[in-house]
Amino acid sequence: MGSFHPYVRVLWACSALLQLIVLILLFAKGGFRKLAFFTVYVALNLCQVAFLVFVYSIWGPQSTKGGILAWCSECVTLLAQALATTEILKVTLRPYQGIWGLAWRALAFTSALVILIVALATHGVWAVATWFELNRGYHLTFAAAVIACLLLVRYYSIPVPAAYKMILGGFCLYSCTEILIHTVLETLAKKWFDAYEPFWQSAPTLSFVVVQFIWVAALWKPLPIEVRKAPPPSNSVYQRLSPEINERLRELNEKLLRIWKLEAHPQ
Amino acid sequence: MNLPLLLLFGFAILLVLLLAWVLRDPRTPPQPGVDLDAEDPDRRHVTYFPQVRQAMAAEDSAFLASRASQALTRRVRRERRKIALAYLACLRSDFLKLWRLARVIASMAPQVGAAQELERLRLGLAFSWRYEMIRLKFLLGFAPLPELGSLSEVVSRLSIRLETTMKDLGERAALAAKLASSLEGRGLDTP
Repeated sequence: MGSFHPYVRVLWACSALLQLIVLILLFAKGGFRKLAFFTVYVALNLCQVAFLVFVYSIWGPQSTKGGILAWCSECVTLLAQALATTEILKVTLRPYQGIWGLAWRALAFTSALVILIVALATHGVWAVATWFELNRGYHLTFAAAVIACLLLVRYYSIPVPAAYKMILGGFCLYSCTEILIHTVLETLAKKWFDAYEPFWQSAPTLSFVVVQFIWVAALWKPLPIEVRKAPPPSNSVYQRLSPEINERLRELNEKLLRIWKLEAHPQ
Repeated sequence: MNLPLLLLFGFAILLVLLLAWVLRDPRTPPQPGVDLDAEDPDRRHVTYFPQVRQAMAAEDSAFLASRASQALTRRVRRERRKIALAYLACLRSDFLKLWRLARVIASMAPQVGAAQELERLRLGLAFSWRYEMIRLKFLLGFAPLPELGSLSEVVSRLSIRLETTMKDLGERAALAAKLASSLEGRGLDTP
């Protein structure tokens, strides 16, 4: 731990403290019952802090072994993050079975697309910094998939409780800042790594501290009680009306197109 | 910074902007199934088309041009164009209301067809684009009013069908709410 700048260590301590508060809030307000995976994710993050302190104390942050162990622990928390996010989306969209089905497909499609883009964009540099690229690729895929789902939720005007919005927003914000920080640093660190090392150590932690504040605010009040929804109309209503509505909309568009093509003429 | 990194950076900025947009509260709080009764057919703008058509009649314009001064004719034309533009905007608002109702039906359906939904999204985007183009055409001085009439017909037909379904869904929602409140009254609410 000695090679870390003092303010990096302070940030680490702040982050750990805030994670502890989030965990306490989850148990105190009963949120752990609804968001089991999110609770596990926060607990795993706390365990990761302890694990990293242990690893860096023994091998130091610059050692290969220490680095590999740290990245392995990161993989576990990233997996937990993906599960926690899926859980929140599922809780939000549970009453909307059809939209949840659509959201799943959107998640899969967006993830596949972004993975492809990342693979193409970083082609050839994987051997240099595999972990680094994998981490950024994950955050890019994660943020894009969650934002695609949130866009879908907004498009269908599905109400999302503020607490869930803040938790999801926090996850995405953290992922976006990770991508930005890593991309900027990748450029700067090539020449002046030593000069920017403290920044590389502190910036992601700082953004995570901000996210923790958002989560504390989100969990300060108990999570909303699930609202009972109307029994879903039979599927035939949608099956019957949807093609018809689309047909009418298409007709309307054709009319508009005809107006557009018309030249001015007196009535 | 090379091109791939620049693209990654741009994509990340785009994601942050999208996140901010997607998380901000919409101007009107969406409550699917609640304001469905507000779709009163008597208040729909398309019903005013005959009056608009009358106001824009070419015979009137010809009569006015033969009797009144050029300045007055120009002024009347300008005002009539304003009316047509306002009408077009109202028509768009009707379209958007109906489009939203279609999304409500989809959100309440147990199974949603991705192809149908994508098609509707495409149609909605196409409508918005064409609407802007037509609006521009009006602003430039064209007046394709006969086509506006058939446009109104389409909106009317669509709305009548949707109103029936929405009424049915509204009744279901009311019944469910009543059932839920009676269960809560007996202390059967789940945590």
